[in-house]
Amino acid sequence: MRFPFGLTALALLLVGTGPAIAAPPLELSVVRILNRSQRSNWVAPWNALGTSTSTGSGFIIDGGLIMTNAHVVSDARLLYVFLHNDPNPHQLRVKVIGHDCDLALVEPVEEGLLDDYPALEFGPLPAHRSTVETYGFPAGGERISSTRGVVSRIEMQAYAHSGIDAHLTVQTDAAINPGNSGGPVVQDGKVVGVAFQGTSQLENTGYFIPTEVVDHFLRDAADGRYDGYPELGVITSNMENPAARRRAGMNEGLSGVRVDAVFPGGSADGHLRPGDVLLAVDGHSVANDGSTLIDDFRGDFGAVVDRHQIGEQLQVRLLRDGQVLETAVTMRSLPRLRLLANSYDRRPRYFVYGGLVFMPLDRELLSTYGQNLPLKTDLLYELYQRPLVEPGLDKREPVVLLRRLDHAVNANMAWHRDQVVEKVNGRKIRDLEDLIDAVESNRGRFHVFEFTYHHRFGVLDREQADAANEEILHLYGIPEDRHL
Amino acid sequence: MNGRSVFSLVALLLLSPLIAGHAEAATSDYASRVVTVEVTYQSWNEDRPWMKNEPAARSASAVPLDGHRLLTTAQTVADATLIQVTKHGSSSKIPARVLHIDLDADLALLTVEDESFFDDLTPVELAASIPTEGDLSSVRWRRRQLEVSSSRVTRLQVQEVYYGNLSHVFLFLRTDLAGGGWAEPIFDGTQLVGLSTSQSDQVMRAIPATVIRQYLEAVAAPGPYPGLPTLWLVWQTNRDPALAAFLGLEGPPRGVVVRAVPWGSCAFGVLRERDILLEVDGHSIDPDGYYQHPDYGRLAFTNIAIDGHRTGDRIPLVVLRDGKEIELQLTLHSYPARMQLIPWQRKNQAPPFLIAGGLLFRELDGPYLRSWGKNWERKAPTNLVALWKRDRHGQLPERRRVVLLTAVIPDAINVGYHDLRDLAVARVNGRAVDSINALAEALAHPVGGFQVIEFEPNMNRAEVVLDADGFETATARILGEYNIPLGGRQDPPFAMPYGEAQR
Repeated sequence: MRFPFGLTALALLLVGTGPAIAAPPLELSVVRILNRSQRSNWVAPWNALGTSTSTGSGFIIDGGLIMTNAHVVSDARLLYVFLHNDPNPHQLRVKVIGHDCDLALVEPVEEGLLDDYPALEFGPLPAHRSTVETYGFPAGGERISSTRGVVSRIEMQAYAHSGIDAHLTVQTDAAINPGNSGGPVVQDGKVVGVAFQGTSQLENTGYFIPTEVVDHFLRDAADGRYDGYPELGVITSNMENPAARRRAGMNEGLSGVRVDAVFPGGSADGHLRPGDVLLAVDGHSVANDGSTLIDDFRGDFGAVVDRHQIGEQLQVRLLRDGQVLETAVTMRSLPRLRLLANSYDRRPRYFVYGGLVFMPLDRELLSTYGQNLPLKTDLLYELYQRPLVEPGLDKREPVVLLRRLDHAVNANMAWHRDQVVEKVNGRKIRDLEDLIDAVESNRGRFHVFEFTYHHRFGVLDREQADAANEEILHLYGIPEDRHL
Repeated sequence: MNGRSVFSLVALLLLSPLIAGHAEAATSDYASRVVTVEVTYQSWNEDRPWMKNEPAARSASAVPLDGHRLLTTAQTVADATLIQVTKHGSSSKIPARVLHIDLDADLALLTVEDESFFDDLTPVELAASIPTEGDLSSVRWRRRQLEVSSSRVTRLQVQEVYYGNLSHVFLFLRTDLAGGGWAEPIFDGTQLVGLSTSQSDQVMRAIPATVIRQYLEAVAAPGPYPGLPTLWLVWQTNRDPALAAFLGLEGPPRGVVVRAVPWGSCAFGVLRERDILLEVDGHSIDPDGYYQHPDYGRLAFTNIAIDGHRTGDRIPLVVLRDGKEIELQLTLHSYPARMQLIPWQRKNQAPPFLIAGGLLFRELDGPYLRSWGKNWERKAPTNLVALWKRDRHGQLPERRRVVLLTAVIPDAINVGYHDLRDLAVARVNGRAVDSINALAEALAHPVGGFQVIEFEPNMNRAEVVLDADGFETATARILGEYNIPLGGRQDPPFAMPYGEAQR
């Protein structure tokens, strides 16, 4: 760790002049981040929403970088950092962002800005009941705030930022509040985690991302690009019932979980089959409830899978037809799963034709329905159930006719809201590009839109729709008919 | 006679010159034409189907008919444990029983053992047609006094019967009656024009006399009750000239587009998906699905099936299919719950359920879905609502009834499965299962010493495996431990509350 002279002198001076203790060097490395962000509008996808402002924390690490949470710097239009005791904001840019683990690396636009500040080092996973301190800039004031607590629990937990990922998480009773996000959690002078979320259901609980997850992120990001966590791509169920174990041929001493489904294209595709029992991953025996012993704590076997990067191999031991098999699974990502995650730093994909607004169905689109979402049974079924019911379904993304911009060419269509598109002009729709191509390559008199649910369909007169396109875009203030 | 009744009488007399053409009646004429029905009812607990819910009471009206009968709505006597009737000038409540009930038509006939009960009652006469405007009287007993309320016809509209598989024209009235909708008769003079079936604020919805007459004729018909005919089609408007032209209909759009023909409905095998239905029984259908009724103006075409028709009638259809107009013949019949794969109604019987090894199975039906309350479509599990919606928009013949694992009653035998809820069963011991009886049969044939229950694809669990050895002992132990008295209700074959689906 470099230690700037000027500050040392100041600290000495302070020691010399009064009872106050020198500012601990740790605080010098903790920063406040201001994010002027903007999100897109998933109902009128050609429009952006207004800007909003949020603040979070971060800390300086090696390489002139600042580590923070992905959610602190998501959807940023302009980012500023406030360094220790420096009243001037300095502009930041995002270097790497990992939405699935809620971590990001940002760097000042101004070169050498952090040269005079110490970079923090990372420590190990803190022990249960050991004391940790947090540093950050929570709501309620401008100055740095520090809290202290013990490690209450170490477990796989859901990460709220993406909404679908779960990774190793440490729970503490040190107060972690809005604005603390991205700040370091420290033990023995070393960073043992990044504060990131709380829960309204429990009192005195804050959560931080442990070093293991931070390491995974840093290794992935070392090439300047973040690829994300790989997914095993299976649904498993517990084997707690002794009859189920006997039927699967599990002798005394064998434990594991049943593979109920294997996602096509996932890492396990071709290696695991429904009905297999997953006995061990990387030599860690999987218990009947899906847990495994990692070092000295018991957690979900997913924590072992989580240690891998895309392209690495996971050693799997499984029981199939009474035989124990060993196989090495090359870890891959599962792009379709990301449809189910919250989405950041991107504009929605859409296509407007004849006043019909088509968009891929994903979690962002679903979230626009708010309280009415439970009534959108077809959309929920399409996104969550259908891939299970039809494992061979060849669809990169479901496409929906979201709504209609009223015009004489479309005003009489019977179905024009929230319809999943199955076929256009006889062609199966696997993604938005398919739909655009099916529309644009059609030379027939009609465009025929067949919807997936309830035998619904709709027709546009092709020449009339072609002729009306520009007028509709102009009328409804839509700058481009598509964003892909 | 108290002041309020006098006022009603005066009001009626004052109004009478203004409603020329409508017969006049004195309040006293109504006293012998309406009785009060008090019902103690108890519904089944859909979550714990071996139990009934707390009993409750409701009060409604009925009108006397010839043959010592009383006419009321089906919902009045639904789930009844005791029915008592009271008539004018009497304080005694007389037990009554249901002679006939049609949940689809929402009508029921009651009778009283002691025939002398009817001596001073006047059987009502049904009006020959429904007035489309003017003032009528809705009548009921309230605290021993006759309450006659002015009710003005606002419109006639074709709607579906609540919870019933029937659609017909309803009479909508603006009424002075407070809290009606419980079978209050609507009179034009002394002729019965309708029977109220619901009321929201001051708007009353009534089953018209024409439908009541058809119900009574159907009850009187020899042989098993045929029910009232309905088309029960799944269709969409044909307002879109592009869509009409695509289906081969050039020129201004006419008719409606058939989207699906549910298995079990009378058009099944006659109409096809993407037919344009141009004419029904000689009436041309407009692109919004209306036809011109000779007396009532424009009504939704689904009314044609019941208007003047009975089950077994053959009616002509004109259809545009593959660009050509063709004529078809349709034999009308009803579409009762037993024809439905997810039966929407269940007569006053327990749901078909089975407890085996602590697993609670039942058939998926309307009462179960509605047990999530008024907003059940929002609150019930999405997988169940999706099944319901799928069948609602045209059930297919290859589908079957759905058996659910609704819950697990915890015991050592079913450890690992305790939190499972509302999963659709696909197979049991390798056998497809589409009823509780089929489930019981499959459980009687364990495979390799195991009971294997496989579910339709879901995120929670693909299968449940239990030991066949000791399975029945465990079931008995669980029933005892959790105080679940079944009587003989777990001995197959089980009663089929909806009746066997005909194939």
